[in-house]
Amino acid sequence: MNVDYAGQKPILEMKDIKKEFSGVYALSGITFDLYKGEIHCLCGENGAGKSTLMKVLSGAYRPSGGKICFEGKEYDTLTPALSKELGVNIVYQENDLVPSMSVTENIYVGNEASKKFGFIDYKKMRGETMAQMKDLGIELNPDTKIEDLSVADQQFVKILKALSVEPRILIMDEPTSMFNVEDAAKVLKLTRKITERGIAIIYISHFLNEVVQIADRVTIIRDGAVVNTYRNEHRDISISTITKDMVGRPVDTFYKKEKCRIGEVVLEVKDLQLTKDSPKVSFQVRQGEILGFSGMVGAGRTEIVRALTGADPKYGGHIYIRGREVQIKNPSDSIAQGFAHITEDRQKLGLMLGGSVLENTTIIGLRSKIKGWFVNIKKHPPLVEGIIRDLHVKTPSIWTEAIYLSGGNQQKVVLAKWLYADQEIYIFDEPTRGIDVNAKAEFYKQMSALTAQGKCIIMISSDMPELISMSDRVLVIRDGAVDGELSGEQINEHEIIKRALGVKKHE
Amino acid sequence: MNEKNKKKLLKDQRILLAIVIVAIIVVVAAINPKFIAVKNLITILQQISVTGILTMAMSMLLIGGGIDLSMGNLMVLSGVTMAQLLSLGYGVGAAVLAGVAVGVLCGVFNGAVIALSKCIPLIITLGTSQIFYGLALTISGGRIMSFGGAFNFIGKTKLFDVFPVMLFVLAAMILLSYVIMNYTKYGRRVTAMGGNERNAYLSGINIVKYKIILYGIAGFFCSVAAIVFSSRIDSITANAGGGYETNALTAAIIGGVTFDGGKGTVSGAFLGCILMGVISNAMNILQVETYIQTIVTGAIIVCAVVLSNYNNRKRA
Repeated sequence: MNVDYAGQKPILEMKDIKKEFSGVYALSGITFDLYKGEIHCLCGENGAGKSTLMKVLSGAYRPSGGKICFEGKEYDTLTPALSKELGVNIVYQENDLVPSMSVTENIYVGNEASKKFGFIDYKKMRGETMAQMKDLGIELNPDTKIEDLSVADQQFVKILKALSVEPRILIMDEPTSMFNVEDAAKVLKLTRKITERGIAIIYISHFLNEVVQIADRVTIIRDGAVVNTYRNEHRDISISTITKDMVGRPVDTFYKKEKCRIGEVVLEVKDLQLTKDSPKVSFQVRQGEILGFSGMVGAGRTEIVRALTGADPKYGGHIYIRGREVQIKNPSDSIAQGFAHITEDRQKLGLMLGGSVLENTTIIGLRSKIKGWFVNIKKHPPLVEGIIRDLHVKTPSIWTEAIYLSGGNQQKVVLAKWLYADQEIYIFDEPTRGIDVNAKAEFYKQMSALTAQGKCIIMISSDMPELISMSDRVLVIRDGAVDGELSGEQINEHEIIKRALGVKKHE
Repeated sequence: MNEKNKKKLLKDQRILLAIVIVAIIVVVAAINPKFIAVKNLITILQQISVTGILTMAMSMLLIGGGIDLSMGNLMVLSGVTMAQLLSLGYGVGAAVLAGVAVGVLCGVFNGAVIALSKCIPLIITLGTSQIFYGLALTISGGRIMSFGGAFNFIGKTKLFDVFPVMLFVLAAMILLSYVIMNYTKYGRRVTAMGGNERNAYLSGINIVKYKIILYGIAGFFCSVAAIVFSSRIDSITANAGGGYETNALTAAIIGGVTFDGGKGTVSGAFLGCILMGVISNAMNILQVETYIQTIVTGAIIVCAVVLSNYNNRKRA
């Protein structure tokens, strides 16, 4: 939809919005506007002020200065109730659906259609859900329980839920961060469709190619201020322009793994089986090598490495490290054998959020670095501080609790934990999901450094550019089995997707 | 000290607690100077010694992501076992050994059921609490059991004519739990386990083993509490343990330990215990009616928990 910027007034104008937290300005005068039916992308690094600005708009934060103009009416501050009344709604990044309830029930939670005497009108709700889905081109059974849906379908339900209150402004925060390429495309298409109803969308995403594809306008904020707002009617804004504005200098978005000597086979997995009926998986990783695991979400990549490191039980198979067979029954065994497993969900699996950076970093290193029963972690700061500094973790101190760090920095702490433990075989499961460009570059640099030290890496990733530029070889995983190995020139997007989807060669 | 450290210090619940305790002491002493007589202060410590030891155990469990509501009855079962052996003519050493063994075994039993079944410890220990109570009733036959002065040296003897030996037992148990939680690998890992169990498992921590040991340690603390308990009144009944676990839980929570695990300190928990002891003793000194005392105690608990929760949330 082409937005007529000259002929209409913006539906929303945020003028010179300031927000101060105990002396520090999270927002130092942001001006942002939004027109009916447009997709306005908001870009910025973690901590740039995107969430703070959105919280001002949703009424969660009271701004310290500035005005919010809604169709000409001025407000000093909004409350959550007022914001809702004005028609602002948010599709949250986190999952806020009830797993045991159906699609329809979830969409109408708190907003149920009722008959006489307050009884719930399921028929009406179901009918409206069906109509909505038909209109938006979503194919889902309205009676399916959320827990039986894929992550992508759950995202559609979240969007439907947000639309059920007929919002005028929809905020979408990283709606595709959990998706593979195919599903992300579906969400983008759906987003376009929503604007046809005249709904204005604020779209927040770290995936800049996605931003280029979908945005009518792009606003980049850095350190709580607007750097630039670009028009993008012709979908021709360049990614490097955006990244330059985001970080204040040009960055390499496509960091390349540095060439290093590929040595002998370090890890060999033979006929690894998760259950009795699952396929046998075999592969090798060499010293200095990054082996990429590619595949659709749900193809079984995470399950394979979890079985490998003993996080989940396995049915059978052999694991050899430098030619010697090892037994791995639990994570404790795998750590002793030199594995490091940077898990995909940092908050649930990788950190104790209430613990300090120091506590989180030292938890694994305790076992090998300290002999005997007694330990005084207060003596460890120098070593830990070194690692934290090398990784450029932004934290007030190593005594700060992990919960106060931004996503990218939390992820770095997870890595710091394994670097401190000093392992041999590093497994990265979606290492850069949902973190900003700078933090991503830091991860790539560290991976390169690890391979240069002669360690080997298995990297599961759904981020195609990252997979292509970092991997020495790529295994394509489909339905829990290795469906092909790519190396050298073969590692390209086309080849990977073709295999991941299982398109036969002769077709 | 720079500005940042000062701020951190104020956020520490232990400092707040210490201030509140001192404030209460000052106010009550102004009304009745008897309150700060050395004798009375020692009495306060004596009054909280049993709860204090249990509070240490409870806070270690809470920090490790667990809880034990069977503590009161576990303590009684251990005490009744000792009394029974003494009445059968066994020596003090043998009785203590048996009592401690019962405590540790019951703790290990709690831990094993919780760790292996992966059920909520709150409910499991409510159940085992009944088992321990029933066992204590069976052994004692419901009678009051005397210790024949076996533990008098702990309850009645005073070092330098001032400090009862039981205070040293209390101090030793506080120190022990402090060292376990802060200066052993085990304690750091228990904290990690309470903070995020799945993360701890992936970090190579044997959750089942660590939980069983943790509950075993708590059982040991309960048996020591049983010795201190019996040494004060030289007797025990199967009914005597009721309510001790709730007091220990309350003291730990007031002291900044949270239900969510991974947070809090044993030293804070002990301050929580002192606060409760000081308030109760102050009300006695000020001759507040017993019924009213109960109401005030309850109100203080609610206030303390609400405040500490507010304090925690403000930080998040």
